[in-house]
Amino acid sequence: MMMGESYSKRRGTGKREISIVSRVLVYTVLIAFTVMTMYPIIWLVLSSFKTTQEFQINRLGLPRYWTLDNYPNAWRIGGFGGLFLNSLFYTGVSTAAIIILSLAASFGFAKLKSRATPFLHGSFVVGILLTLQSIMVPLFLMANATHLYDTRLGVLIPYIGIGLPLGVYLCTEYIKSIPDSVVESARIDGASYLRIFSSIVVPMARPVTTTLAILNVTSIWNEFMLINILVSKNSLKSLPVGILKFSGALSSDYGKQFAALVIGMLPMLIFYLIFRSQITKGVSAGAVKG
Amino acid sequence: MKRSKWRAEEHRAYLTLVLPAILIYWAVMAFPTVFSVALSLTDYNGGRLFSSANPVHFAGLTHYVRMFSDPYFWISLKNNFYIIFVSVFGQIPLGFILAYILFRKLVKMPGFFQTMIYLPSIISTIVVGILWQSFFSPYGPFSEFMQRFKPGWENTLFINPRTAMLPVLFVVLWMYTGTYLIIFLANLQKIEPHIIEAARIDGASEGQVLKYVILPALSGVIVTSAILAISGSLQSFNLIFAMTAGNPARRTSVLSLYMYDNAFRGAPDYPLANAISTFMVVISFALILVTKALEGRFGGRE
Repeated sequence: MMMGESYSKRRGTGKREISIVSRVLVYTVLIAFTVMTMYPIIWLVLSSFKTTQEFQINRLGLPRYWTLDNYPNAWRIGGFGGLFLNSLFYTGVSTAAIIILSLAASFGFAKLKSRATPFLHGSFVVGILLTLQSIMVPLFLMANATHLYDTRLGVLIPYIGIGLPLGVYLCTEYIKSIPDSVVESARIDGASYLRIFSSIVVPMARPVTTTLAILNVTSIWNEFMLINILVSKNSLKSLPVGILKFSGALSSDYGKQFAALVIGMLPMLIFYLIFRSQITKGVSAGAVKG
Repeated sequence: MKRSKWRAEEHRAYLTLVLPAILIYWAVMAFPTVFSVALSLTDYNGGRLFSSANPVHFAGLTHYVRMFSDPYFWISLKNNFYIIFVSVFGQIPLGFILAYILFRKLVKMPGFFQTMIYLPSIISTIVVGILWQSFFSPYGPFSEFMQRFKPGWENTLFINPRTAMLPVLFVVLWMYTGTYLIIFLANLQKIEPHIIEAARIDGASEGQVLKYVILPALSGVIVTSAILAISGSLQSFNLIFAMTAGNPARRTSVLSLYMYDNAFRGAPDYPLANAISTFMVVISFALILVTKALEGRFGGRE
């Protein structure tokens, strides 16, 4: 969308002539970047179709004998089926909760009058710059104290809490831009605030909801540091934790390691191919967070 | 009468809307941050809090003194600075140049090149880390290439403490340049196209357009991006955790990994870990103040 719009404005090509030298230079740089992106990925995919024995003698070339065995083996040894479902569960539930809670709080901050708003809203804005690392030890201690260690809820609550600062910040900015008169006229017609929220604000906030969904799906899907310390049961872990296992104990079994990496890479690649334009928009909108 | 009923409903609605988010956020982020600062000033190292069997003593700044006298702290801090350097002087200029090339349509297929440059930041950090670790390892393509140029070349990249950080820095550049490309491109597209057209018609060269139209319009975004790059670099953890785990001999450690090692690897040293994270929070907040000051000067982030 974003890209398409401006490219379609393109006029005659004669106007932006640049010298041959700069043109060659520009293409060299861009092709270099393309090779740098694609080569490691292609190497990875090709290697994942080699047996470990073949990889040891043929590290760069095409597989002489294509094998598919690495994939089912890696999938089974890594227990990826269960981990994949866990990842879907954590990502889906946390993202949905972050969006609903952020929209609700932001509607309160943006359209309802309260003297507490500057302080409460300010506390979320500060949270955008708090680091995950600085809460790891306390969260671990708290999870143990509340018996939430090794439970799904003990993973979900921190994920939701960590996503809220940016969510509340972006939603408040967005809901502020909805005219007050929309809310006021609904009030005069007798609608309660909660009704206005669910039938007017939520549908109108569609664009910011998309941005939040994109940002949170990518960050929660890839998260592995917190879940690594909050959960020890294999049955509760997520896909990235399972993939990490292949770099440690199983790292000499190259074929399976590469297959595991491809499996780990695919979901986000597919997600990107489907939501490409929304993702690029979401990234620049969410750039308030480093 | 009706008015006060309205006020009461507004008040109730406010609480219903705002409280759930407040409770979760304060429990998960606000409180732990304060808790961590408090713990860094005590000798608490696990076990039950507030029980007479496990009394907690005030320790003052002892753990901060320990932190500052630990060589690993300085190694980690130095590595954080390398990453900051690569981010600010690598990712941002490269991201800007690439965004400019695509924005001014100096090449065919800008959409394709945009995808190619951005793709690395889509892949899970854990996959990127292990993939490049394999790539640079003795069994990876990098060794093969080097051995073709220089027969007998031995790959000690990750074993030699002096070179182990180089592949990491390369991957940092590889992975995040695309993010800045996207941010700059989005902001370049906010510039009115006919301002540029007009300057070109008036005879301005490509270089002059860049200098007098585009750079001034983007100065705010560049400053904000730099601050974000610095704070992001301070927090870098995932990539290094997956790629080297801080090895060899913790020479590729960074502050967050140094904190993690002290808290969760081997015998836990929570007070030291909390002191490290407090140090990181302080730097983070110093950065917010710098951002605010610079934003005032350069006219906001838009």
